Amino acid sequence: MSKRTESNLYTVLFATVMVIIVGALLAFFASALKPTINENKRIEKQQNILYAMGVNENDETSAIFVSKDKVGEEFSKYITKQIVIQGGKVTEDNKAYLIDVKKEQTAEKEGKQRRLPLFIGERDGKTFYIAPIRGKGLWDAIWGFVAMDANMVVKGAYFDHAGETAGLGSNIKQRFFMDDFIGEHLKKDGKFVGIAISKSNNDPLNKDKTDNEVDAIAGATITGDGVAAMIKSELRKYVSYFNTLKTN
Amino acid sequence: MGLLSKKDAKLITDPFADNNPITIQVLGICSALAITAELKASIVMAISVLFVMGVGNVVISLMRNIIPSKIRIIVQLIVVATLVIIVDQVLKAFAYELSKTLGAFIGLIITNCIIMGRFEAFALANGTWRSFLDGIGNAIGYGVILIIVGFFRELLGSGTLLGFKVLGDPIEKTGVYALGYENNGFMLLAPMALIVVGIIIWVQRTKNPALVEEQ
Amino acid sequence: MEHIELFFKSIFIDNMVFATFLGMCSYLAVSKKVSTAVGLGAAVIFVLAVTVPVNWLLDQYILKEGALVWLGPEYADYDLSFLSFILFIATIATMVQLVEIIVEKFAPALYNSLGIFLPLIAVNCAILGGSLFMQSREIATLGLATTYGIGSGIGWFLAILAIAAIREKIRYSNVPAPLRGLGITFIVTGLMAIGFMSFGGMLTGGDEEAKDTSKTEAVKVAKDDAKAKKEKEELANNTKEIKE
Repeated sequence: MSKRTESNLYTVLFATVMVIIVGALLAFFASALKPTINENKRIEKQQNILYAMGVNENDETSAIFVSKDKVGEEFSKYITKQIVIQGGKVTEDNKAYLIDVKKEQTAEKEGKQRRLPLFIGERDGKTFYIAPIRGKGLWDAIWGFVAMDANMVVKGAYFDHAGETAGLGSNIKQRFFMDDFIGEHLKKDGKFVGIAISKSNNDPLNKDKTDNEVDAIAGATITGDGVAAMIKSELRKYVSYFNTLKTN
Repeated sequence: MGLLSKKDAKLITDPFADNNPITIQVLGICSALAITAELKASIVMAISVLFVMGVGNVVISLMRNIIPSKIRIIVQLIVVATLVIIVDQVLKAFAYELSKTLGAFIGLIITNCIIMGRFEAFALANGTWRSFLDGIGNAIGYGVILIIVGFFRELLGSGTLLGFKVLGDPIEKTGVYALGYENNGFMLLAPMALIVVGIIIWVQRTKNPALVEEQ
Repeated sequence: MEHIELFFKSIFIDNMVFATFLGMCSYLAVSKKVSTAVGLGAAVIFVLAVTVPVNWLLDQYILKEGALVWLGPEYADYDLSFLSFILFIATIATMVQLVEIIVEKFAPALYNSLGIFLPLIAVNCAILGGSLFMQSREIATLGLATTYGIGSGIGWFLAILAIAAIREKIRYSNVPAPLRGLGITFIVTGLMAIGFMSFGGMLTGGDEEAKDTSKTEAVKVAKDDAKAKKEKEELANNTKEIKE
């Protein structure tokens, strides 16, 4: 290596130029692509919500969303109402699905009142209440949408993750796991208990829907516990709203 | 291989076996263990590394005469990270589904020491074309091990390959499960990845005793 | 309490080497002798203890969405998290280089024993892994971030110390020739990782359960029973698996 590249001045200059180039390059890509990326995220959210209430193009084994170009139309067709619950007050807001659950969770930690979005959908004469949930798995964030009826019986669920172990924790977004939740009760004897992910309920085919348990994924204990924990802590916040539904 | 001289061809074929990055050079182990519970994830990772290694080696090789040696490690890391982040952003914008599959690996690609190792050992001292070949060769050697490990772990652990139930259905008891076969869930856990790699090393060194280490 | 829990969790349950398989390359390459393993391990503890808190500050005040709000309310919408990899790596590489210079100047003896390992550490993925986990697990305070850094470092130190000791002993054993060196190290590490999995049982309940105590006693007792039963069965399952 030539002598020129050893001097301190050169090193500092090189570092400065490099930082400027890299910074500019990244900032350019980030800002140029941001609208497209946000649009993709918006579409995905709509797809997820629709998936949870059973509007999807599933084949026999795999989970397939409504296609991208149809999703906007389907979303406005099936989702009849979007509401935001904040401290017992319910307001209608047709942009409620854009609420960032992560931000709301941080706001709650800081002592602010959290906004809880809930989407109300109609399909084949039945009403679905779809709530977003978010929590932590083994490595990173996990999140999803749960569709329920007025009695808090699960009618559909969609889970996703940022970086769970491939082949183990990542299976939470597989049909065999998500479909297990359909029909499962969130309440027991009128009280909210959530759904546990169990390894030892002697019910691997999940025939018993009222035991508040679904079968776990082997090798993914911590991810499974994360799913159970987010269902419990997030959906509990909606219980008071569901209670008002029943008296109506 | 009419395009390549004999010396150049060796750059591709060597890492494939006798100088394999994982089993001989001990590079890139972390990712080989973390993602091989599934064959599909192994293949995706192998392809991503192939891309990053090829391009990264060329970039570093082009810059080799202007990088100050004092901060070369920072420079190398930044080159990899920038490459990976740009690819990630582009995928997020134009191939969203694919980017979600890849998303979990981004950290692992940046910290993959095979990339750093080849920058340091080869690209800093060699020309662009040779560096490119070296990058591709090592990435292939790395990918082959990944795919072998992924194949055995998914087959023995979940009884599937790329998600297809090749051994029958474990719950309905069809295929080999009807004969009393059970999946070995242990294969899916990360410690088994270490042991599988250990066995690959064993097989490889039995076939080529020249690689055996001194006591 | 929180600190102690996180500390032990990061040493044993989330052990960098055995649970997350980070820092494997230097772990395998520099574990032939106990003395060098100790040197590298100490350097890793030190660097993790410094970089995790520094990166925590960067994440909190620069990178996170809305983190720039301290500059003024008009900055509240900036989200620089796409820069986190680059900034974390730059911090680590800079810190390592800084530490190298400072140690060389003020503690030459320490430098002589540690020095050669410092450049190795910049490329040790356990270090970047520490910072990324700190970010994704949303560690709440600077203090906790420091605890997490030190804990993870000690976990890594323990792992490399153990494997180096085993490798020194194994030299006297009759290992099949093709397995000698690297091969047997892989397999031993796999077995050690299986052993470390048993620490997973240390994780019980957590905050969620603690809050429930305010609920009716009867519910709690029933739940505890169910939990204890579940744990017992889990344990039985695990031992069965290991025996097999």
